[in-house]
Amino acid sequence: MLTVKDLKVAVEDKTILNGINLEVKPGEVHAIMGPNGSGKSTFANVIAGREDYEVESGSVLYKGEDLLEMEVDERALAGIFMAFQYPVEIPGVSTSNFLKSIVNANREARGLEEMNAMQMLKYIREKIELVGMDEKFLRRSLNEGFSGGEKKRSEMLQMALLEPSLAILDETDSGLDIDALRIVSEAVNKLRTQDRSFIIVTHYQRLLNYIEPDFVHVLYKGRIVKSGDKSLALELEDKGYDWIKEEVDAVAV
Amino acid sequence: MSTTVAQDRYAAEKQKFQELFDQTEAANQQPAHPLDEYRQRAMALVGTLDFPTRRWEEYKYTSVNRILQPDYAIGQVQGVDAADIKTYLPEGMDAHLIVFVNGQLSEALSQFAELPAGMHVMLLRDAMDSDRFGSIAREQLDNILKDQDDIFVALNAAFSQHSLFLYSEKNVVCEKPVYILHLSTNAETPILNSHMNIAVAETGSEFAYIEGQFEKPGATGTYFNNIYNRVTVGANAHIHHYCLQQEGADGFVINRVDAEQDRDSQFSNYTVDLGGRIVRNNLNTVHKGSNLTTNYYGVYFGKEQQHIDNHTFIDHAVPHCQSNELYKGIVTDSARGVFNGKVMVRKDAQKTNAFQQSSSLVLSNKAEMDSKPQLEIFADDVKCSHGATIGQLDESSVFYLRSRGLNDRQARAMLQHAFIAEVLEYFKHEQVRDFAEMLINQKFEQ
Repeated sequence: MLTVKDLKVAVEDKTILNGINLEVKPGEVHAIMGPNGSGKSTFANVIAGREDYEVESGSVLYKGEDLLEMEVDERALAGIFMAFQYPVEIPGVSTSNFLKSIVNANREARGLEEMNAMQMLKYIREKIELVGMDEKFLRRSLNEGFSGGEKKRSEMLQMALLEPSLAILDETDSGLDIDALRIVSEAVNKLRTQDRSFIIVTHYQRLLNYIEPDFVHVLYKGRIVKSGDKSLALELEDKGYDWIKEEVDAVAV
Repeated sequence: MSTTVAQDRYAAEKQKFQELFDQTEAANQQPAHPLDEYRQRAMALVGTLDFPTRRWEEYKYTSVNRILQPDYAIGQVQGVDAADIKTYLPEGMDAHLIVFVNGQLSEALSQFAELPAGMHVMLLRDAMDSDRFGSIAREQLDNILKDQDDIFVALNAAFSQHSLFLYSEKNVVCEKPVYILHLSTNAETPILNSHMNIAVAETGSEFAYIEGQFEKPGATGTYFNNIYNRVTVGANAHIHHYCLQQEGADGFVINRVDAEQDRDSQFSNYTVDLGGRIVRNNLNTVHKGSNLTTNYYGVYFGKEQQHIDNHTFIDHAVPHCQSNELYKGIVTDSARGVFNGKVMVRKDAQKTNAFQQSSSLVLSNKAEMDSKPQLEIFADDVKCSHGATIGQLDESSVFYLRSRGLNDRQARAMLQHAFIAEVLEYFKHEQVRDFAEMLINQKFEQ
């Protein structure tokens, strides 16, 4: 699905990612954890296609293609979905019109026919139920005035509608109360399939009580310094990140 | 006198209009009508007034020079049949239609007969002849010519032969809008289209009228629409005035609206400017009674060499009145937009509530927007706010939409559309709102 090799990325001449290696196979859930400033969000954004980053070296292959050569919308149409940490508010764009446009754009890219208004309504209702959203949000402007939890739910709704091959959740759990967290993780669990992969970027282990990852990676100073299974997440919860920092810094000295 | 002539930069252009007027009068086969006397007075007035230059503060950003250069002639009804009209009567658009082609009334395509009881739409000359409306019509005309200092209004009054008179009787509510459609078709010479509407709503009445200015698809040609509206809104009455304009690349447009409102009334103007080479709107409202509301909603979208200038004025002269003004527009390529919004709150106009917002997107390096809010407040217990923003599209929003699979063009169109769609939400008549939306979408797709 996704093969990242020795990825080095800079922002304004400052190296943020310093040689990332990661292999994500179909159906796998990878959690990427790490202290603040370790490069987690940068990694997520580079995969999603944000252009403010300069890739210095390395490669990213997605389904065998050079991902770094693809525009952000090409990546989306190829099945990559990014749930943003801070979804933007877009006044004037109605949520329902937006959802219709993106569903049909993605269907067209997959060679499927556009949905008519009735089919679309049925499809959206089905997914809205899945993420436990209120239908009244459809009539509102996209994300405008939504609470933090509502915004994350709106991201989950879009993910459910677009049925991506690879979903990246960028700190989707940050700042959520336990109810919202449950809803987000239920949505992810319902969407887990043998073919669909997830990269879950998170600062806290808490989310992983609800979404069981196949692999946990710890990012520090722009590198994956430790990988393991879900027990690594529990260990991090107990001991914090300091022991990892010490280990890594000791080696560096 | 000779010095005056020397200073008049547009003496030659004025002479051309005089000659055109003389030709028209000479060719006039109809018996003399009292309206002709007003038209002659108006033409005499043109001789005493000057065309504005860029040195005038109100025309600092807009030169009328290009408008005055062509050798205009009076147009003829030609090249239009009922099928052509359908383009401008989309499904759901149910209105009393009155059609002008190249500035001339097409009686064949118009529907004067089907109006509900109490709502009257007729030629101004017929109104003058009638016992019922004669004195109202003359008084309105007298007021237009009295102390008139706008040469374009004088020119309009001189040339407008098919002026319309719209009148709603006391407490009459006319559900269907009156739709005055101006169509420009191919013409060999530049065409001068002068049209005047006198709209009067008596106490407690309500009606809407739409002015559409369109160029027939595929037509080319130079023309100058010089349109004047005189609106009188009686106590507790409401007039909705829609101006939808999509003229061609060589169309010049000057619209002026002078509205006067009595107590507890509402006047709402909704303006959509999508076409035209040079467009200048002068929208003025004077408050004559308390507790009334004035609404100005405007949308514009300029591409290529278009120049679109909205000049608005609201004169708060009495207490407890409200005005809402929202203009949003997009300029791209080498287009230029102008917004000049003057709000006067006179000493006696306490408890005035005046809101004004002008927002624009400037999407290319060569496009330009000049925005000038102008609040003059002499009362001390008022709420007045104004805002003017000039900006670009928010790139993080573009990225967000693209991250869901929309391409760059689709994402930008969606955001631009959303930007101006906010104004359309205030359009009272859904059918007009849908029509305006359709026209805007066409412009996006161009």
